[in-house]
Amino acid sequence: MREPAPTETPAPARDPLTTAMRASHVLAGVLVVGALAFAAFGAAVGDTFYLRLATEALIFAGLALAVDILLGYTGLLSLGQALYFGLGAYVSALTLMAVPSFWAAFGAALLAGTVVGLVGGVIANRVRGVYFALITFGMAQVVGKVVYNTRALGASDGLIGVPVVDIGFGPWSFSSASPAGLFLFVLGYVMVLYAVAAYILDTPLGRLLIAMRANEGRVAFLGYRPVTARLIAYVIAAVVASLSGALYPMLRGFVSPELLFFTTSGNAVITVITGGAGTLVGALYGSLLLTVIKSYVGSWTEHHLIVIGLLFMAVVIFLPRGLIGLVRPKIERMLSRERKP
Amino acid sequence: MTSTLRLLSALLAGTAAIAATPALAADPIKIGVVTPLSGTYAGIGQQVRWGLELAATEVNAAGGIMGRPVELSFEDEEANPSVAVQKAEKLFQVNKVDFLTGTVNSGSTLAVGQLAERAGKLIATTVSFADSITADKCSPNVFRVNARAGQQSAALASWLAKEKPQAKVFYLGPDYEMGRSTVAAFRSNVDRVGGSSLGEVFAPLDSKDYTQYFGQIRATRPQVLYTSVAGTDTVRLFTQLQEFGLLGNITVLGASGTVTAQNIGAIGKAADGFVTGVGYSAEIATPENKRFVEAFKAAAKTDPDLYGADSYGLIFAYKAAVEKAGSTDTDKVREALRGLTWKTPQGEKTLRAGDHQAEQTMYVVRVAGGQFKIVSEIPGPDAIGADTCTKF
Amino acid sequence: MAVLDYLQFVLAPQMVTGLALGVAVVLVALGLTIIFGLLDVINMSHGEFYALGAFVALALGSIGLPFWLLLILVPLALLPIGYMVERGLIQRVFHGGDRHVTTLLLTFGLGLVIEDVLKLAFGPNPHRPETPISGGVELLGVFVPNYRLFLIIAGAVVIAAVAAVVYRTRLGAMVRAAAYDRHMAASLGVPVKQVYAGAFAFGVALAGLAGVLLAPIYSVFPTMGRDFILLAFTVVIVGGMGSIAGAVVAGLFLTQVQAIASLYISPVWTDPIVFGIMVVMLMVRPQGLFGRLGHA
Repeated sequence: MREPAPTETPAPARDPLTTAMRASHVLAGVLVVGALAFAAFGAAVGDTFYLRLATEALIFAGLALAVDILLGYTGLLSLGQALYFGLGAYVSALTLMAVPSFWAAFGAALLAGTVVGLVGGVIANRVRGVYFALITFGMAQVVGKVVYNTRALGASDGLIGVPVVDIGFGPWSFSSASPAGLFLFVLGYVMVLYAVAAYILDTPLGRLLIAMRANEGRVAFLGYRPVTARLIAYVIAAVVASLSGALYPMLRGFVSPELLFFTTSGNAVITVITGGAGTLVGALYGSLLLTVIKSYVGSWTEHHLIVIGLLFMAVVIFLPRGLIGLVRPKIERMLSRERKP
Repeated sequence: MTSTLRLLSALLAGTAAIAATPALAADPIKIGVVTPLSGTYAGIGQQVRWGLELAATEVNAAGGIMGRPVELSFEDEEANPSVAVQKAEKLFQVNKVDFLTGTVNSGSTLAVGQLAERAGKLIATTVSFADSITADKCSPNVFRVNARAGQQSAALASWLAKEKPQAKVFYLGPDYEMGRSTVAAFRSNVDRVGGSSLGEVFAPLDSKDYTQYFGQIRATRPQVLYTSVAGTDTVRLFTQLQEFGLLGNITVLGASGTVTAQNIGAIGKAADGFVTGVGYSAEIATPENKRFVEAFKAAAKTDPDLYGADSYGLIFAYKAAVEKAGSTDTDKVREALRGLTWKTPQGEKTLRAGDHQAEQTMYVVRVAGGQFKIVSEIPGPDAIGADTCTKF
Repeated sequence: MAVLDYLQFVLAPQMVTGLALGVAVVLVALGLTIIFGLLDVINMSHGEFYALGAFVALALGSIGLPFWLLLILVPLALLPIGYMVERGLIQRVFHGGDRHVTTLLLTFGLGLVIEDVLKLAFGPNPHRPETPISGGVELLGVFVPNYRLFLIIAGAVVIAAVAAVVYRTRLGAMVRAAAYDRHMAASLGVPVKQVYAGAFAFGVALAGLAGVLLAPIYSVFPTMGRDFILLAFTVVIVGGMGSIAGAVVAGLFLTQVQAIASLYISPVWTDPIVFGIMVVMLMVRPQGLFGRLGHA
């Protein structure tokens, strides 16, 4: 799949991994340009619905990004990432209802994601392989059902009445009720999550995770503690999911226990696999694609699940790198060619 | 990129359609309907649809509202608040409806009400029971034309006081806003008339097996079981109660929607002896109701139940309000709806200005031999209860 | 007197109800655990095969075939479907990188498709087949509906028969041999490919049989597999992935926990308890109570 590093390249050359990530960044750039055009157009014609739909797609892209951090870089499949997404959403909603401030909600979700991620990571990392998938699934089920049964959290009805807030950076601020404003903000927010995830995975820790994926036993001999590295990856994924979830109540004005359920976790897995596991940018494209299929196919038939299910199965069988895998190698080749003298 | 392009083209198609049609005098008045068309509450959504369609046909045949025809757009609520909100947003923003109704799940009504407030539109529910919708969680943009849990319970409690004073009652409600509200409302009425409460359990909406809930019922040995499950949930609850031999020594009371024309056929004999307090019955013997029942049967091939009748009545309330306001403007229509008195198949209803709750005559209805029979009648002002809405 | 009365009227009926549910869950879990024990595949579409069985029974029942015949016909009808799914889909990714994850994902996708196809063919609303045997009997003063009693007996027979086939027949020996060491089994002349596909088909047929048996109690609707499969997964994990004895013990135990706890707490809270047991089990003993097929 990946072009071997060209022989004539100077010594401190970019290795294939860096080239692959750079190709992902190019695709992320394309996505941002497309999204900006979309926002400009949407704002110009006074659209609300499609901008808000696209905002939701980006929020769920953040959840998919978290799944990809685990699956793509540690090889561990999380079937319960919605636990942290829902956690962020509920914590954010409760904070906003008490203190209508974006930064308070953001801080609370960051804290909750870190703390619960640490606890969950210690539990989940006791087991490997398929048992990891099952234990993450089990933890999300327990928390989901507890929320579903807890009256103080609105039980099965969820919480409504999350106020509209002003999201501000110094002198510049806008209302979360403004469709174009919120869309642009969420776009920037998710791209920051993407950049942070990409940066961390390019550090020695990230290299270690990838090395562990290839051969965990050998990594221990190199003097690293695989358990710690895995826990850090787990907490990062938890925080990314939690921070994405924190945006949900700002968009919809309410939260419901479905955000924690298996359907949400499962959708994130479908998103990542379809988009392309281990590419990070695949999670973003996957989420947009799935939203388009849902609303497009959904507008002429209720049965978009057949389309999504078949597409997903085809990707699992034929495209181990997802749909991004069709495009990214071409960009990688272009990037390597640029560097040739 | 292709996904973005597709979104763009979807956007283009949507907005072009709106931009291309300048407002004409004969432009239709659009009413969005978000109601369950599938799932446990599909039967309820069906009644809502029949009621609204019959009313729209009649209004349009008589020249529409201010000369403009009424146009209904339906979306499936799936009895799920998150789905309801998305469908409602689509109707408000893409279809540009003037008014919205149909929500069944009380959680959906509350969530869509919040959306309506933010979108500057009005909604009305013709089905949801939870008291909170027109009490502590009331909204200036939400109206309710059907009887809420408190009204139903007041009626049912009057029957209980007369027929089974000092009854020992157990409660089984669906595990969401409506279930908790109906159980709380009836429980306070039972306490008021001198009965005693043995315990309460809540089963999730759409439960397939109620038998695990029977243990607590058996343990407390109630004389009366109050339940507010509805739709096909009732069918399963009643047949399982019968299967386990529990119906023999327990009188079952319930909310208005528990047993209706829509599910009584499937429940069969297990429904006999069921008593409820309700704002409508096809048995109401007024000429207006007889005419309505006949027209409804001609269109739907079945009797109307409370949902069909209340939904039918809503269109006439909206018509009266728009004509009084002279426009479909949200603020003007809201003013016109507040305090409005209008004619419905079940008699006159009045929308209380203080909390947007309709005041109406209540009935106690009992099932005997597969037929609904009106047992007694409670005047509207006695049933409606205090106005506790403080938001407007 | 009060104690006897409590036992007869409150505790015993609750336990019998729990037992009926337990047998039902074990039936679904059985296929799941056999497929995992032999193929290392977590069949995420198992719940949808259970639903498929119920719908096939519904369709065949509506053309007048008697319920008793369906108990045989439906599993037979699902056998070739299961066989084709294993050969046509699972084998495609079986030898790829991460077998657990790819087969889990593939069957997850398949489940979505089956569920939506059922929705397309039969509509989203529940259908309720007539109970084949109505009424009830009193056993030692405990009232038991006849159909639940039948379910308990029929389920026990099926479970015993499956165990007998796996542990007492030549076919079962081949299956266990293939599960223990596929290369060794192959070199001894076991047709491993057929055994794999056959075992998958067998598991799917069991799910279908559970669908037929449970349809009169739980109604038939496209998403019927979803809730039930969560409990079945829990049972398989707690009992030990791939263990038949484990599935039976864990299935009966967890449903009794639910049934008895439902007398004292709100039954909705039994779900987090059961899932909590699963998480704790995975933490302290991920292989479950019993070892896996072929290894014990």
